[in-house]
Amino acid sequence: MNVDLQEFRGAFVAEAQEHLSGAQALLLAIEVAARAGRSAPRELRDLMRLLHTVKGLAAMVGVEPIVQLAHAMESTVRAAEQAGGVLEKAATDALVAGADAIAVRVRAVDGNRPPPAPPPDVLAALAGIEPPARVSRPELAIDPVLGAKLSASEKEQLRAGATGERRALRVDFAPSAERAASGITITSVRERIEKLGEIVKVVPINTPATAGTPGGLVFALLVLTTASVDELAEAAHVPPGTVTVFAEAPAAPPVPVREEELPEDSQAEDARTLRVDVRRVDDAIDLLGALVVTRSRLARAIERLERTGTDCRELRAVLTDNARQLRDLRAAILRVRMVPIASALDRLPFVVRGLRQATGKHVQLALDLGSAELDKTVGERLFPALVHLVRNAVDHGIETPAERVAAGKSPDGTIRITSSAFDRNVELRIADDGRGVDPASVAARAQAPMPTTDDELLELLCRAGLSTRAAIDTTSGRGMGMDIVRRTVERLGGELLLETAPGHGTTFVIRVPLTVAIVDAFTVLCRGEHFAVPVPVIEEIVELGRLVSPTHAGGPRLLARRGETVPVIDLGDALGLPPAAPAVQALLVRPARGEVIGYGVDRVLGQQEIVVRPLVDPLVASAAISGSTDLGDGRATVVLDLVGLAALAVERRRGRAA
Amino acid sequence: MSAALVPTNDAAKAPAALYVVFKVGDVDYALPASTVLQMESYTGATAVPGARPFVSGIIQLRGRVVPVVDLRVRFGLAATTPAADSRVVVVEHAGRAVALLADVAREVVRVTEDEARPPPRLVDDGGFVTAVIQRPDRTFLVLDLAKVIGEETLDV
Repeated sequence: MNVDLQEFRGAFVAEAQEHLSGAQALLLAIEVAARAGRSAPRELRDLMRLLHTVKGLAAMVGVEPIVQLAHAMESTVRAAEQAGGVLEKAATDALVAGADAIAVRVRAVDGNRPPPAPPPDVLAALAGIEPPARVSRPELAIDPVLGAKLSASEKEQLRAGATGERRALRVDFAPSAERAASGITITSVRERIEKLGEIVKVVPINTPATAGTPGGLVFALLVLTTASVDELAEAAHVPPGTVTVFAEAPAAPPVPVREEELPEDSQAEDARTLRVDVRRVDDAIDLLGALVVTRSRLARAIERLERTGTDCRELRAVLTDNARQLRDLRAAILRVRMVPIASALDRLPFVVRGLRQATGKHVQLALDLGSAELDKTVGERLFPALVHLVRNAVDHGIETPAERVAAGKSPDGTIRITSSAFDRNVELRIADDGRGVDPASVAARAQAPMPTTDDELLELLCRAGLSTRAAIDTTSGRGMGMDIVRRTVERLGGELLLETAPGHGTTFVIRVPLTVAIVDAFTVLCRGEHFAVPVPVIEEIVELGRLVSPTHAGGPRLLARRGETVPVIDLGDALGLPPAAPAVQALLVRPARGEVIGYGVDRVLGQQEIVVRPLVDPLVASAAISGSTDLGDGRATVVLDLVGLAALAVERRRGRAA
Repeated sequence: MSAALVPTNDAAKAPAALYVVFKVGDVDYALPASTVLQMESYTGATAVPGARPFVSGIIQLRGRVVPVVDLRVRFGLAATTPAADSRVVVVEHAGRAVALLADVAREVVRVTEDEARPPPRLVDDGGFVTAVIQRPDRTFLVLDLAKVIGEETLDV
């Protein structure tokens, strides 16, 4: 075994195990999809990527048996992906056996034992898989209308919940006056079905009014249950034909032949740590947000009470305690997301090791990261940028051993990464002792005047497409440019700085906040302005063609929706923007308590992940605004809190009435 | 930022401090350089719904998001239209960073302690001016940051 391996063993094992458990989860999801007759192209692509990563990691530390296994598995998955996204059972079985075989070898590396050669039967099974004939895409088991109303975690809950005897079923219940007269309503149906299984979600769906659905409305109840279709149909008072199965576990998966387990030494240290899906933490933060909104409503209610002359000192004291507790709770939840910077960067030694082999340069990586912690998401987003900076340092910064000796330096170059945390920010310094960045050659390549400061030099380096090397090479030539590095850092709310001295080396300084909030958001156009709106609060996006409009006394327009009358307010009016043409699309929002409200906009432009930076300065803070984001254009975009906006509107109305 | 250091007229021995000078309308205003984080050119801000009228919006500066106070509006003049000379003077006060939008900002002057005097009462009824620096050829009004950007502190 390679001597270097010792140094990286821990990092390799942690990394490989994480990817393996990811791969196993994906295999399971793919299998469930195949059972339900669905293809799973996205899962296959993710699986392919994971296997590719495992292969690369194993190659870096020189664990050949894992390289072979991962390579064979990757080929099988690629063939299936190209053939239309369906993995046949034989292929799934072979992949599961392959993942098990890799797991055994990772444990061997962990226990400092030589990993055994790949089991020939597993390799043979993987090699023997014929790519399936290209099939037409099967009908999705969840229809798109319904699928669009489920969050990723609800879908995952349905998928993951369908194990063993339990299946995911959909029961369609159409309410009607007739049924209601005999006491059958969605409430009674829900109660009866709850006795048979777990209701994951009840989704109301608009449908043309027919004899079976006189109200033009159907409730789709998504249930995880071991009950039969007939039992459910009876509970819902519907014909069995309206119950559909859309996810079930394989009837009896054959137990894969496992190799003999090698003895294990070290698993005790994991006992005090808990692996949690980040989404659960995000859920907690969302709930906390609702709590903060409630608190501000309470504060305003107390203000109104005080205006009537009531003594509110005790209430005030409670409110102050409450504010402090909320802050503490928020800090506690955010701490769950923090990981030591050292562990966020523990793959860097691999990168450098690979670069050493690729370039033949002598490079040492010195990590001095201390005990500071960083939000896991920030670490993950930042990592590719760090890899780029390190590659750049090896490729362009560090000289060849001969050049270094000629310059009076040690033949070994050093890249030193240090970190320090201060005031909710963390600073990472990536310093090399190479030749430094030559401003003249950068200026020549960018066809720009000679930069006079490091800031100007960085500006030139960040010009899109500029590479400091004429030829594209294997390590730095592809991937991100400096402009992407800087944008990555800035979108996290940080900044990138450069310090360089010819002949002595280059230091990049990255400063980023310790923690950020990342959400999925719609971008909308409203009266010529762009806004971002977090996806989870939006129940539906509708075209405003069917509006009953205008309504009396300058009030909101009204939208008929599933027997409900929804007020639609132009978002521009609600925000106090200058008047313009009426909105054509509306975002429907349901506040935690209360009725659905529509906010009219000019256009929904798209959906993307955004980093939300809180806007706390009293000059601009508002309950209707959850922060600011950069959509990629380098400008600030306001992130709206439509639930907060609705609450504000209600309060203003009450305030006027009082 | 081009800094033109203007020599003091007298009393070179008195304790001195650097002030950043900027123009709003025809008036020269000054702030202690110690409160100024940076100065940047200004090409417009992102409007923030519901913000006070003198707030032209928010801007991103090296990843930091700061509100912009249009000093023209704050002082009762017509709103600023961004021009080549427009500058924001980013100040730090009570833990907050706020950008002040001025028509021109390109001077730093050295001011001795005894040069800064309390303002005559009629100079400013908004209470924005905390001191006046009188030079033979020019007058600088020193702004009271707390008054200009509001005295609220961050509740986070």
